[in-house]
Amino acid sequence: MEEGDLILRSKEGDLDAFNQLVEKYQREVYNLARRMLGEAPAAEDATQEAFISAFRGIGKFRGGNFRAWLLSIVANACRDQMRFWRRRPTTSLDALVLEPEADRDAQSPEDYALRRELGEKIANALATLPTDQRLAVILYDIEGLSYEEIAQVMNSSLGTVRSRLSRARARLRQYLGQRMELLP
Amino acid sequence: MFKPKSECQKVKGMLSPYIDRQLTSSEQGLVEAHLERCEACCRELESLRAVVNLVHRMPLVSPPRSFAVAEVAPKRRAVPVAVFSAATAVAVLLLAFFFVSDALNLFALEVPVEEQFREEVLMIDEAPDVVGAAGAGYETVENWPFWQLEVAFAALVVVLGALTIIWWRRSKAVEIAVKS
Repeated sequence: MEEGDLILRSKEGDLDAFNQLVEKYQREVYNLARRMLGEAPAAEDATQEAFISAFRGIGKFRGGNFRAWLLSIVANACRDQMRFWRRRPTTSLDALVLEPEADRDAQSPEDYALRRELGEKIANALATLPTDQRLAVILYDIEGLSYEEIAQVMNSSLGTVRSRLSRARARLRQYLGQRMELLP
Repeated sequence: MFKPKSECQKVKGMLSPYIDRQLTSSEQGLVEAHLERCEACCRELESLRAVVNLVHRMPLVSPPRSFAVAEVAPKRRAVPVAVFSAATAVAVLLLAFFFVSDALNLFALEVPVEEQFREEVLMIDEAPDVVGAAGAGYETVENWPFWQLEVAFAALVVVLGALTIIWWRRSKAVEIAVKS
């Protein structure tokens, strides 16, 4: 069934139709929450809450980019959780490292170790970014959204998206440049 | 060759959107013309591109479980709290109406006094049904039991207001329990 039909049926309260949308987008939503929050349990909670909120509030979706609308819900939930944590810092940087998935071509243990090490360095670098800069980098460089979609998710202008990405990458380059060779 | 520092600074600020092809054609021309003559900015671009490529290599991971929504309980706060709030508001408005009506004698009536009782009424200082001076042959009476209505509606406002607060606090407790 087309996404538009699924959305219309979801607006009428069809939970099966909505769960087909969940199946389609849960990987992106979970990855965003996981990269933003670091802790798997918190990311799972944020993801589940985001989908419940989306189903409850789907009547307010007036068309346009459903993916961006959904990601804005989970982004706001993550921001709220991070604001709460700032008052009680408990997140360890180790929690931000995600185990790389096994490739379809069987990768060697060395490749796996290298990818894990790289993932750890990038995750640590992301953790140093302010919330909105981190969100912009995750949405563009990891999730692959366009500038326009990011502007919608973050409820900001294109100029703001451009500026946040620019500053975030400059910080990442400074952090990573001190810890590894960026250029051959 | 002398390159104004401000131009390098300006171009460095545009390298990120340049990588993403998000510059206007004139901005892109400016950047490319500058890169042809500035090695420092070229190195800056390459290191920035390397960072972007590194981050692009971070894979998406599979979610640990399905996040399909099993069932969504309706929000409990809506009906009872809204009903009690509306009822309280109506009771407050009616109470205010009765207070004002009583104060302004809006519903006072002038009724003809029977001729044979006229003198007796005028001689009595405190006739319970006479509320004000009337014209000759008429007396002013209050036909609404205002003070009883005021007391009744004041009590109603207190009861409905208390019920509103109790239901609101209960719905808040449920919401917090679901989230924790």
